[in-house]
Amino acid sequence: MLTIEKLKVYGADTAKGLSRCANNEALYLRLVDITVRELSSGSLGEALASGDPERAFEAAHKLKGSVSNLALTPIEIPLSELTELLRSRTPGDHTALYDEIVRKTNELASL
Amino acid sequence: MNENNSFRISEEKRRVLLIEDDIICQEMMKASIGDTYDVIVATSGEEATGIIRAQHDTLSMILLDLNLPGIKGIDVLKSIKSDPEFSHLPVIVMTSDNEAEVECLTLGAIDFIPKPYPASKVILARILRTVELSEDRETLRLTERDQLTGLYNKDFFFRYAAQLDLYHKDAPTDAIVFDVNHFHTINDRYGKAAGNEILKRIADNAIAYVSEAGGIVCRSGADTFMLYCRHIDDYEALLARLSANLDVEGSGENHVRLRMGVYLDADKSIDIERRFDRAKMAADTARDHLTAPVGFFDHSMREAEILEEQLIDDFSTAIREKQFVIYYQPKFNVKNDKPYLTSAEALVRWKHPKLGMVSPGTFIPLFEKNGLIQKLDYYVWSETACHIKDWKERLGVSLPVSVNVSRIDLYDPDLTEKFLQIAKTGGLDPQDLLLEITESAYTEKTDQIITTVKNLRDLGFRIEMDDFGSGYSSLSMLSTMPIDALKLDIQFIRSAFKGQKDTRLLEAMIGLAKSFEVPTIAEGVETDEQYSYLKAMGCDIIQGYYFSRPLPVDEFEKYIVLKLKSEDDLCLPLKN
Repeated sequence: MLTIEKLKVYGADTAKGLSRCANNEALYLRLVDITVRELSSGSLGEALASGDPERAFEAAHKLKGSVSNLALTPIEIPLSELTELLRSRTPGDHTALYDEIVRKTNELASL
Repeated sequence: MNENNSFRISEEKRRVLLIEDDIICQEMMKASIGDTYDVIVATSGEEATGIIRAQHDTLSMILLDLNLPGIKGIDVLKSIKSDPEFSHLPVIVMTSDNEAEVECLTLGAIDFIPKPYPASKVILARILRTVELSEDRETLRLTERDQLTGLYNKDFFFRYAAQLDLYHKDAPTDAIVFDVNHFHTINDRYGKAAGNEILKRIADNAIAYVSEAGGIVCRSGADTFMLYCRHIDDYEALLARLSANLDVEGSGENHVRLRMGVYLDADKSIDIERRFDRAKMAADTARDHLTAPVGFFDHSMREAEILEEQLIDDFSTAIREKQFVIYYQPKFNVKNDKPYLTSAEALVRWKHPKLGMVSPGTFIPLFEKNGLIQKLDYYVWSETACHIKDWKERLGVSLPVSVNVSRIDLYDPDLTEKFLQIAKTGGLDPQDLLLEITESAYTEKTDQIITTVKNLRDLGFRIEMDDFGSGYSSLSMLSTMPIDALKLDIQFIRSAFKGQKDTRLLEAMIGLAKSFEVPTIAEGVETDEQYSYLKAMGCDIIQGYYFSRPLPVDEFEKYIVLKLKSEDDLCLPLKN
């Protein structure tokens, strides 16, 4: 079961995330859970695979919003980098960044 | 808390519309402000637009995410700010795109919340402050503006005019008041909606003028406007501009005329409100002047104003110290070969300790305007009654005297009681007092006035209708009117004998009175010619310099005594 302590160990800035939820731990944990499910749904992977740069950017940007607000730092770092690359339509292979996001998501999901 | 206690604006949660499609952001925002605000969520621009349209009256604020599916947040913001019905709603934009901040603030957003969000307590504090400021701003917007025209109201106008003075100390500035001639008749004829439409058009014309030429404008009363602007030269052109497109639609007529009063290059050392008082005074001189609809304040008006203020200030002392003195002008019955003294008219003069003799033409219209005439009339009636009593006791003469009863007196429910008391105190018979009531008084609330006059007459007071023929009464009223004499308007006599003499109208009036068996009185008779004509036409009683000027009481007493000596001239019940 997900706890604040586990999230801290994972590397999330829980103090910051909680401060945005009026320090309501139950709410914070529920929102983290929702976000993990969204991250695990494969929507970002599908968007990246579609070849549509706008769709890829939108998917990354949306996830980045949630992850940043919850201060899930281990995912936030690669996801922010990916989002900016997609925003600027920087050509190249972003697989490494995506794999890192998947890895950190799985890590979070297993807590 | 009982139900009444909870019925308070301060107890109600303000409603905030959160336009946000992301569930995490929605939940965080609800956690941050949900205890303080009732949060309604819209997840798209389309949904938000519908809610705003239906519920804008009850919304205190909108929180808008810029990154929405469908209609983009920036377009939602544009649409809110371009609709006058909703544009007052404060919108806080939320985005991770810092570069959008300037654009959103330029479009009318009131504040900006970055993403990721600040701490909940920071968001709440920011929103609380924004709602408070917006409500203050909205209150100011509602109170500083006239709801119909959107112009400033008078209080704020004066405040902003004073600010203009601070920034433009040396600029010559005009204080201008303008209004609609006989606006109430427009409302009566075409309805209130048409009247309002005219006021709105005048306001639009005025706004267009000040937006070009500078200055500020307000609606200061029903149909009165004030304009404070840089000094100009062509006021006719300004008036024409303000009067543009005012015809009542469908009437095919153009009856809407404005008049304007200008206090030009207004003296900035005097209070701003006084400056506009002067402009109003100037406007009053333009009333009904179709050919000269613009009046200008000049210093003779200021002097007249100062004199009026002084007379009003001095009134109570004057009554207390009996500075008002009664003059008497005799009236002669001319029906027989030899005229005889039949009565007199009491006329008031003011022997002012500093100003000398003040003409009644100066103070009577003033006191009629402010209501002091009631006190003055009562004073004159009482003083006259004392004199009548005195003549009875010392001279053994019973001479009826007519006194003026002003229009406002007729609305006094205690009027008959006051006259009875005066007569009783003086030991007089009601017939000793003749009451002169101006013809125009009969045209207002006729029934009430006729009842009052009938009551007085039933008690034995005799009624003379003053200024008869001055143009107000309907001739049919003569048959129902309780009156004992008609006193012809002095203007009739003056104009009948002026230049090309034409007495036909005068003769017709006297003939009319005769047909109703009411005696006629002519006043202002000065010459042999006037006397002879009036007598020949059948006028019954004559008053004027032909017989005597108005005399102070001591001289009038001598006059009576003199007449007493020539018994033939006096057919009065001389001895009690």
